[in-house]
Amino acid sequence: MSEEDSGENLKEETSYEGENEQKMEELGCSESSEGKEQETVPVTRKRPEPKPPSQPAATEKPAAETVKVSDPPAVQTGWGYWGSWGKSLLSTASATVATVGQGISNVIEKAETTLGIPSPSEISSESKDSTGGSENPAASNADAADDGSSFPIAGALEVLSTISTAVQSTGKSVISGGLDALEFIGKKTMDVIAEGDPGFKKTKGLMNRTSTLSQVLREAKEKEEQQTATEVTMATEKKAHYGLLFDEFQGLSHLEALEMLSRESESKVKVVLNALSGEELDTLKEEMEQLKEAFSLPEFFEEEEEEKKGDEEFTKEVTELFSELHISSKPDKVISVRTSAHEWVAQFNSSLPEEEKESEENQEVGSRDGDQDAKKSVEDIHAFAIRSLAELTACSIEMFHKTAALFLYGQKQEVTATDRAKSLSQLTIMLCKELSAFSKEFTTCLTTAGVKEKADVLNPLITGVFLEASNSASYIQDAFQLLLPVLQISLIEARTELSQ
Amino acid sequence: MATAYLFKYIIIGDTGVGKSCLLLQFTDKRFQPVHDLTIGVEFGARMITIDGKQIKLQIWDTAGQESFRSITRSYYRGAAGALLVYDITRRDTFNHLTTWLEDARQHSNSNMVIMLIGNKSDLESRREVKKEEGEAFAREHGLIFMETSAKTASNVEEAFINTAKEIYEKIQEGVFDINNEANGIKIGPQHAATNATLAGNQGGQQAGGGCC
Repeated sequence: MSEEDSGENLKEETSYEGENEQKMEELGCSESSEGKEQETVPVTRKRPEPKPPSQPAATEKPAAETVKVSDPPAVQTGWGYWGSWGKSLLSTASATVATVGQGISNVIEKAETTLGIPSPSEISSESKDSTGGSENPAASNADAADDGSSFPIAGALEVLSTISTAVQSTGKSVISGGLDALEFIGKKTMDVIAEGDPGFKKTKGLMNRTSTLSQVLREAKEKEEQQTATEVTMATEKKAHYGLLFDEFQGLSHLEALEMLSRESESKVKVVLNALSGEELDTLKEEMEQLKEAFSLPEFFEEEEEEKKGDEEFTKEVTELFSELHISSKPDKVISVRTSAHEWVAQFNSSLPEEEKESEENQEVGSRDGDQDAKKSVEDIHAFAIRSLAELTACSIEMFHKTAALFLYGQKQEVTATDRAKSLSQLTIMLCKELSAFSKEFTTCLTTAGVKEKADVLNPLITGVFLEASNSASYIQDAFQLLLPVLQISLIEARTELSQ
Repeated sequence: MATAYLFKYIIIGDTGVGKSCLLLQFTDKRFQPVHDLTIGVEFGARMITIDGKQIKLQIWDTAGQESFRSITRSYYRGAAGALLVYDITRRDTFNHLTTWLEDARQHSNSNMVIMLIGNKSDLESRREVKKEEGEAFAREHGLIFMETSAKTASNVEEAFINTAKEIYEKIQEGVFDINNEANGIKIGPQHAATNATLAGNQGGQQAGGGCC
């Protein structure tokens, strides 16, 4: 894309050391015009970044971000490493990308067409090696990354940090700086942006091509549509297009509607703020600050046990959290989508012969024969995984949209806006964790079913699932941020009710 | 296969007039007598063909309840077509049309095509609003008019498709600037290049192209 973009970013780069904070938002946006560094960027469709100059949540988003890369890995399966990568990515990519300037989609496309992908099996074995099978992935990541040429791990990291590659023209320096640095950057970003960093404004200036997440997603979907229309693709491939499916499940529409409510609320908030002065204004601002704090998503603590959450438990927790909102709707759709996807996986797993399960537990997938399980092809599994992710995400966004509508519905509030925000933030985290757990389950299915497949068939499918899962999580987090202006309105209304 | 255009529709009107049922009949070809109250807005989509062109209708089915009014207003923006629905068996839903119309005109773009729909035409015995009244209202306000039944599917297809035809004509006449998405029209990716040259000649205002 434009030269201004890269110029802009190069400039920023020079100040990198001192302004780590600023970087995170820039991440991902500079790569657009440079083909030279593409070998560091991973394949597969990347989340198109939103960059809303007018979007209400824009300034809040960074607050939600936490770079989390030092989770203990789940090394029970061959894909354990990737699993934890997937999860880290969830929290990393999302909010970051949300504030990034335009251009990433182009990068990704270029990257897609020109790059090879890292071999997941290499990655997992390497990660095992370097950690000695222990549970310190941060160390292993850093080790591997120090060697810029160590492609497999670097590959994994770079998926996570296409972002970084964008800022830095190489991306390697960030990675070799170690994951602590990334984490540091992320944390700082949030503080600084909240304070209205001038660099952020600069970034915003870059993002004028499209303005909302739904627009970006729509464009991405249209591109996919175009691709699928022109290419003579196989039916299976078409079935697995996340963007098209997300739209089919009305995810785009709900997102667009939510954005409308959010924007409208935002401008109402501005009107109210402008009309106030003195002490009144100060108190309101203070309260709004508290509300805003509830919107910064805490780090996702990865507890392995939690991964194994049973169906009832998820249902129970989501239902409980939702009931704390005191609104007249239920998260039934999300729950049923989630449940049926889990049933599918369970069914798949139970159809496996015993020995194969063992081999999987021994992390020896990929080396065993597993032709007994010819029932479901890897393409089927992949298609189902992508479909489930798209559906769960669409339903989650629908849930947020309905929630916003009901908040604005104007009934007397039994709970404060801040309490609602807290419940919603919990809900957001639960959903994101769930998506991450899903991606692990699905990729385990894929590796199990695909033992006999060639790596170049299997790997893109696996990468695709992880990537879409992390994209999904970031859409959900972005949608959550759109609720802030809506709750600000609630807060203001509650105050006026009180004063009357 | 390729979509030439995407039109955004909104369905508006009092609660219980059958907005969601019309949508369901149009998208799924079925009728569901009992419907949950719509919260905010629901969505439906369907492809239709006009003049050999594939057009995707993206339909926003809004909540009719009075208390949702301020919210549903937010959704009007960027709609190319509106279905304004009343219930022929309930006079009050007809009486409220003016308010709905004002709302729609105020919160959407001025070129939006509005189709007035008298729904529940299958309930002839309970009719409270004459067809002629609907026609007169439509004529007076420059709307297209139809009576439909979401239950029997009578005229449902026509209502949606005729609205699209009208929008399509306006595009041909250059009334709609198709490159401005605020008009609720998006061009399919393949057609962007060819259609971008349209728009320009000032088209005459279309008189009602409805049927019945």
